[in-house]
Amino acid sequence: MPRDPNIKRVMVIGSGPIIIGQAAEFDYAGAQACRALREEGVYVILINSNPATIMTDTEMADRVYIEPLNVEFAERVIAKERPDGLLATLGGQTGLNLATLLAEAGILEKYNVRLLGTPLASIRQAEDREEFRTLMRELGEPVPESWIVTDESDIQPAIDSNIWPLIVRPAYTLGGTGGGIALNEKQLREITKRGLALSMRHQVMIERYLMGWKEVEYEVMRDANDTAITVCNMENFDPMGVHTGDSIVVAPSQTLSDKEYQMLRTASLKIIRALGIEGGCNVQLALSPFSFDYYVIEVNPRVSRSSALASKATGYPIARVSAKIATGLHLDEIENAVTKKTLSCFEPALDYCVVKFPRWPFDKFRSADRTISTQMKATGEVMAIDRSFESAFMKAIRSCEIGIYGLSNKSTQQLSDIQLEEAIRVPNDERVWAITEAFRRGMMIEEVYALSYIDRWFLRKLQGLVGLETRLKLNGTAISRMIESGDQHIILEIPSNREDFEKTDNAEKSQNGLSQHHLAIRLIREAKRVGFADRTVAEFAGVPEMKFRTLRKSLGIVPTYKMVDTCAAEFEAATPYFYSCYDSENEF
Amino acid sequence: MSQSKGKVVVIGSGPIRIGQGIEFDYCSVHCVWALRAAGYEAIIVNNNPETVSTDFDTSNRLYFEPLTVEDVFNILDRENPDGVIVQFGGQTAINLAKPLNEAGYTILGSSCESIDLAEDRDRFEKMLTELGIPKPAGRAVVTAKQALVVAEEIKYPVLVRPSYVLGGRAMEIVYTREDLERYMDYAVDVSPKSPILIDKYILGKEAEVDVISDGVDCLLPGIMEHIERAGVHSGDSMAVYPPQTLSQKAIDEIVHTATQVAIRLEVRGLMNIQYVVDTATDTAQVLEVNPRASRTVPYLSKITGIPMVQVATNIMLGQSLKDQGFSSGLYPTPGSISVKAPVFSFMKLNQVDIGLGPEMKSTGEIMGMDTNYPRALYKAMIASGIDVPSGGSLLATIADADKAEAVEIIREFSHIGFTIYATEGTARYLRTHGVTAESVKKINQGEGNIVDLIRSKKIDLIINTLSTNKRIEREGSLIRRAAVEVNVPCLTSLDTARALLTALSAKQEGTEFALATVDEYLNYQPI
Repeated sequence: MPRDPNIKRVMVIGSGPIIIGQAAEFDYAGAQACRALREEGVYVILINSNPATIMTDTEMADRVYIEPLNVEFAERVIAKERPDGLLATLGGQTGLNLATLLAEAGILEKYNVRLLGTPLASIRQAEDREEFRTLMRELGEPVPESWIVTDESDIQPAIDSNIWPLIVRPAYTLGGTGGGIALNEKQLREITKRGLALSMRHQVMIERYLMGWKEVEYEVMRDANDTAITVCNMENFDPMGVHTGDSIVVAPSQTLSDKEYQMLRTASLKIIRALGIEGGCNVQLALSPFSFDYYVIEVNPRVSRSSALASKATGYPIARVSAKIATGLHLDEIENAVTKKTLSCFEPALDYCVVKFPRWPFDKFRSADRTISTQMKATGEVMAIDRSFESAFMKAIRSCEIGIYGLSNKSTQQLSDIQLEEAIRVPNDERVWAITEAFRRGMMIEEVYALSYIDRWFLRKLQGLVGLETRLKLNGTAISRMIESGDQHIILEIPSNREDFEKTDNAEKSQNGLSQHHLAIRLIREAKRVGFADRTVAEFAGVPEMKFRTLRKSLGIVPTYKMVDTCAAEFEAATPYFYSCYDSENEF
Repeated sequence: MSQSKGKVVVIGSGPIRIGQGIEFDYCSVHCVWALRAAGYEAIIVNNNPETVSTDFDTSNRLYFEPLTVEDVFNILDRENPDGVIVQFGGQTAINLAKPLNEAGYTILGSSCESIDLAEDRDRFEKMLTELGIPKPAGRAVVTAKQALVVAEEIKYPVLVRPSYVLGGRAMEIVYTREDLERYMDYAVDVSPKSPILIDKYILGKEAEVDVISDGVDCLLPGIMEHIERAGVHSGDSMAVYPPQTLSQKAIDEIVHTATQVAIRLEVRGLMNIQYVVDTATDTAQVLEVNPRASRTVPYLSKITGIPMVQVATNIMLGQSLKDQGFSSGLYPTPGSISVKAPVFSFMKLNQVDIGLGPEMKSTGEIMGMDTNYPRALYKAMIASGIDVPSGGSLLATIADADKAEAVEIIREFSHIGFTIYATEGTARYLRTHGVTAESVKKINQGEGNIVDLIRSKKIDLIINTLSTNKRIEREGSLIRRAAVEVNVPCLTSLDTARALLTALSAKQEGTEFALATVDEYLNYQPI
C-alpha cells in the first residue's frame, strides 16, 4: 500500500532525560524517525524535555517543543498543533506510557489523533502480564509458570505445580531485596514469608527459575500487510537472571544450532503477527541448554535499546523503517538506505561478529552494590565488530574506558580462590575478569560452567585467549629482543605463510633472522588476530607501546578494514561503515 | 569525493557514563554536519551503538572502533586525514590530543599546547596569576603531610580532589584536620601517581560560561548561573539562563576574565570556564577551565539560537567569528528563561547515597523554558521527575550548621500549607523560632520511627541536609535511601528547597504556563 495520504501532521514523543535503562538510543531512534517522516512529506511536531538531543534540533522537526513530558503539556501541544497522528513507539517506555495516558484520558479521541504504527490494544496485550500470558497460551507458545501471591496461604498452587526450583521476587523493592530461590516447599514458605514482609505492596511473584538457561533476543519487523522479517538475533553471554542491559551480548547468536535458531525465529514471527505490531518489536526468549525447550519471557512492542544495537550491528535502520511503516508503507516499498538497491523486506546477513559490553557507573559509585541481576545498572554500552568473537570481545573491553585493556584486572587478581569462585557465581561487573583469572589459575571449563552456567563455547573462547596470553607473556623477552636488535628488516618480507617464505630467495639470506624470530612473529600475528591490544603485548615485552607499534607495522601486521553493508557483500553498499580486523583483504 | 576540500576525522565520546553523557554525541554530530556543510569529508570514530553519531548516514565514513591510541592511530594511518578534531568528544577525545600531537598528526582547533596549559594545574595557575585573575587559594600536594600544612595555611573548609578528574571523581569538601587525614589515606589510594589538589572552599554562587574564540574575537553565548551553591558538582546543579542573582559587576568580571583566558590560551573553537562568585566580596573567581565543548553547549545553542558547534568548527577550518557574523562579548539575552535540571537514577542503584556534593551523580538532564523564572523552574522540576507537591507533609532533618538558614525556608513551606515533621533537634529549633513542627522518633527509637514514617508514605517532601557528624550522617543516609524507595522527593541542598518554593509560587500564582516551540522562545520579547 502506498503511504497514507491522510497522515499530514505527526506528533513524535521523545524519551526525556537520560536515565539508567533509557539512554541515547531514543535520540538515535527519534532523530531517524523524524527524518524518515519528513522524507514522506509529513509535518513533524516533536515534544521532548531533553534539549541535549539531536532530535530536538530545529532542523529535525517542523515544530520542536522542549516542554515537560506529561499529559498536561502534551495535550496543550496537541490542542495547538492538531496533529492527525501520534508516533509513540520511538520514545522508549516514557513515550509509550505518555501515549497510553493520552489515549486513556480520551485526549487522542477528543482531538481526533490517530495512534500510528502499533495499535494501543497490541501494546497493552504485550505489556499487561495477564493479557500477554493468555495470548501466548492461545498461540501455544510457552511462558514460564508464575503466580502472584499476596498472602502466605496463596502459595499452594505453586507447590502443587511441583516445579522446582522456583524464584521468589518481592514486588516493589529495590534490587529485588528479600527474594530468593526455593528448591522445596519448606524453602518456598520461608522465602515467601520474608518477601511479603519486605514488599511494600505485600506482594511477591513466584516463577519457574530458569537457572542456566540461555537468553536470546530476536528483533523482528512487521508491516500492515503482515509481512514480517527478522532483523537479527542476539545471544546473551550471561545466562538468564541478568538484565539484557547488563549482559554482554553477541550478534548473531553463537551457540545455537540451526534447529534452535529457526525454532525461536518462528516463535518470534508468530508472536509479532499475533500481536498485530506494525513496526519493530523485540522478543526475549529463554532456551534450555539441555533440550529444545524454550519460554517466551517478554515482548517490547516498540523500538528499544536492543533494536538500536540490532540496527548498528546489522546496518538495518529499524527506527527509520518503523516510522515509514507508520505512514502506511509496506516493507517491500521501503528502500534499504544502506545499499540503496535492496528493499527493507530483505533480512540482513552478517559476515562478522558483534559484541556489546555494558558500561557501569561503579567507578563513580564506589559504595554501590556491584552485583548485577534483573535490575539494570549500566548507564551506557559499547559495541565492537570483528571477524571472530574473541577479537570483538577484546575490542569491546578496551572501548569501555575503564582502565582495562584486556584479560587482566588488578582487583580480581587479588582475590583468593574462594572469593574468585564467588565472583564467578554471583554476576557482577568484573565477572569476565574473574573467569579469565580462574583459567589463569588452572580452573577447568566444567568448574567455571558449574559456577556461572555461561555456555561452554564462550568459556572455551576465553580459556583460549588466556592460553594465548600466557604464551605472549612467555615470549615477552623474545619480542623485546626483536625490538632492541632492530633487525626486523630481515624478516620484513616474511609472508604469513611459512611455505611461501621458504621458497623465496630472501629466506636463505635471513635464515638466522627467521629461526630467531619467526615464532615470536607468528605469536604477534595470532595475538592481533584475536584482538590483543598493542598496549598489552608491549607490557608483556616490557617496552613502550609505540615501540611495539613500530615493530608490528614493520612486520606488516596491520589491520584491514571491512564493511558493514547489511547483505554480506552481496550488493554494493552506498553508505557503509567500517570495522578493523587482522585479516588479509580490504573492503575499502 | 574528489571535489572535497579535505578530510577531517572527528573523535567521538564513547559510552554514556556519569560525567560524559549524550551532550558530547550531540556535539560530535554537529561537528560532522558542519564539516560536511563546509565541503569537507567527515569521518567519525566512535563505539557507542546508542547514538546518532554512529548512524550510517551521519558521516561520510564511520569507524566502529575503540577510542584508544592504537585503534585511532590505525585509522589515521589508513585515512591520512588533513586534520583531527578532539574538542567535541568529551574527555575521551581530549585525552588523545597529546599522543596525536606527539605522533605528528594535525589537531584542528586549540593546539595541544593550549590544552595542556589549561589542564596542567601549575601552569594554569601561573597563567592566571600573570593575568591577574582571581582564583581560590590552593596548591597541589603529593603527601598527606603537605596536605595538612597547606590546609592550615589556607584554612578550612577546603576542597580536595585528585588532579586530572572527570566529573569530579573522589572530590570532597573537608572541614576538619581529622577528615583531611582520612581523605588523604583514601585518596592517595585512588590515584597514587597523580598529586592531590587542595583548594580553599569558597561559599558562593557558581556560574559557568562557554566561550567561542577564533584567537582574535571571543563570543560568549551565555552565562549559566547555578542554583545550588558552590560544592555541588556543576553536572548535578540546577542552572538558569540568563543569570538571576549575579550582580552586573560579577557578570562583567566573568566576561572580561573569560575573554582574557581564551585569548591567552589561544583557543580556536570552544572552551568552558567555571566560576565561583564569592558571596563575601562579590568577585568572580576561576575554578577550572575545560579546553573543549562542555555539557552546556547543546543547552545554550538551543536557548540562544547560536549554532555553537558549527561556529566553532568553522573557526577550526579557518573562518573567523566576524566572517560568520558574530562579534566579541556576551551575546544579548532572549526574553525567555531556561532552567536546566539534573536527573538521577537512584532507584536503580541500591547502596548509593543520594546526597549532593562535589562528586557527580546524575545520569541525565532536562530543561524547562518559560517566560519567567518561577515557571521555568517549575517546568524543570516536573520534567526532571520531581513530583512537585503543592501541599502535604514535609519532613525536615537539618544539620546544625544549616539550621539558621533553614528556618525561613521551612517557615515558608508551613505558610503555604505544609505540615512540618522534623527530627527532635530540628523540631525544637523550629519551634523556638516560631515554626510549628512535630517531632519524629529517631531510627533507634523503635517502631513508628522516621524511616517507618517515610515508608508508610505519609511524607510528601523531605529536606535533609548533609551533616559532618558521622553518626548523624549514617542515619541521614538511611533516611535518604528510604526516600528513594518510596519515590518521595528528597532535597539535600537548601538552595534546591528554596527553588522549589519559587516554583510553587508559580503554580499558586495561577497564570497559565507558556507553551512554545524553541524558535518561539528565542523570539519572545517580554512585554
